[in-house]
Amino acid sequence: MLILTSTARIFTFAWKNFVRNAWIWLATVVVLVLALLSVNTLVGVNAVASSAIGVLEDKIDLSVYFKPGTPAAVLDQARSYMASLPQTSNVDLMTSDQALEAFKQRHAQDPNILGALDQLDQNPFGASLVIKARSTDDYPFLIQALNNPQFNFAVESQTYDDHAAAIDRVRQIAASIRYFGTALTAIFILFSALIVYNAIRVAIYTMREEIGIMRLVGASNAFVRLPLILDALLLAFFALCITAGIIAGMIAFFDPRIRTFFDGADPGLQSYYLVHYSQLLLFQAAAMVAVVTLAAWAAVGRYLKR
Amino acid sequence: MITFKHVSKVYPPDVHGLRDISLFIAPGEFVSIVGSSGAGKTTLAKLLIAEEQPTRGNIEIGGWDITRIKSRDIPYLRRQIGVVFQDFKLLQKKTVWENVAFALEVAGETRRRIRETVPHVLKIVGLEQKAQRFPYQLSGGEQQRVVIARALVHRPKILLADEPTGNLDTMNTNEIIDVLKKINAFGSTVVLVTHNREVVNALHGRVITLADGRVVADHEQGKYLLPT
Repeated sequence: MLILTSTARIFTFAWKNFVRNAWIWLATVVVLVLALLSVNTLVGVNAVASSAIGVLEDKIDLSVYFKPGTPAAVLDQARSYMASLPQTSNVDLMTSDQALEAFKQRHAQDPNILGALDQLDQNPFGASLVIKARSTDDYPFLIQALNNPQFNFAVESQTYDDHAAAIDRVRQIAASIRYFGTALTAIFILFSALIVYNAIRVAIYTMREEIGIMRLVGASNAFVRLPLILDALLLAFFALCITAGIIAGMIAFFDPRIRTFFDGADPGLQSYYLVHYSQLLLFQAAAMVAVVTLAAWAAVGRYLKR
Repeated sequence: MITFKHVSKVYPPDVHGLRDISLFIAPGEFVSIVGSSGAGKTTLAKLLIAEEQPTRGNIEIGGWDITRIKSRDIPYLRRQIGVVFQDFKLLQKKTVWENVAFALEVAGETRRRIRETVPHVLKIVGLEQKAQRFPYQLSGGEQQRVVIARALVHRPKILLADEPTGNLDTMNTNEIIDVLKKINAFGSTVVLVTHNREVVNALHGRVITLADGRVVADHEQGKYLLPT
């Protein structure tokens, strides 16, 4: 009964204190929200960067162009051999006739090009193989595999290097984002902890008379401390709720706009949050609870020395 | 009830608050502790409520050695010692009733006990008619009586009053002393720390005189001996 009464009273004191120091708490909530937003922005940017890398990787292929007139048997052998490799995901063979047809379709609106094509006696296009690797790391191996003497004499050219440079660049950017983002997040978490600590100290300073009287009349340290820790947890709760609302709004705003940069493909922002938000929220809640509890505990402790 | 055995208190680096104090206060006594500023009166009061720890010696209250009292036990000690200070220490946003009830609330007492106790102690100090007033609506003497009421809610065996009349005029001072006598008559030990000559001389009780951290006089029917 006594425990119930004390617990109820601790909650009551916490709520009264929260209302009384509303402006101080509000300022603290804003800072906590900013810190959480920085973490979420970092996560969002990482998701989009990963998605961008995925889209780019999907666009990568190894195109092997054969000399015009290469016999179909050699082409079939090349296709079969490349398809049999475990590093290969998919191989498409485009014959010279298919390549000519595709070219004509692509330039159907350009009579000059079609006219020039008609002037030629024979099909200028050779056959080609379009090879997709399971991983971008497999392309160097596949390029080596093209040196197979059974068909390498018929290979005219291959394209890969341009894509490789773009992928490397995107990877570097993503790594930089992760590196600086992590440092920025760590700094924001540190700032948040210090600000919560100071906000609670200020709140306690405004309550110093009441705390002094509480201790004078025999309140236990826990009775003085717990309402303030509850206030700090309430702050964390509000900050998490507000951040979740802002994040939802930001995703709804940005996702369709980013989509245009991905040629209509999923930029990965919304889908990432749909899949991972519960984990992300749990992690942020745990971190926030730990930071505010420790900060409040330490801040109140300064005023409870005898 | 209260025993000081060779108690000294030194504040760093070498300021002596008390020097080898030994004294015994029996249950139900009304003791005045007098002395000029810096004599060690307030240090003695702080040691009694464990706000400070002695550098040397032992302090016992009701057989409980509080010399090295643990932090978690201090609230229980303070519920046994009612404390009254010169500057009242009332919460201005709370009514008289709420200020008194506050001491019971923080100790986890039930609402029923609070409803029973608060009117009772307000009656003892003569403020039952002003329970719904705020401190700023009361005179200095009335505010001090609220503080005394608050100090009484835990039915303390000891009431420590540190300069309770320091901010009051003669009439209010007399009112406060009358209340303290009344509490003493109920059986509580009253320790009055003061430098008010008239009050001390009018009490005709035990007077312990401190000077430079030492007990220089301890008389059963004492007078205020120090020059003003």
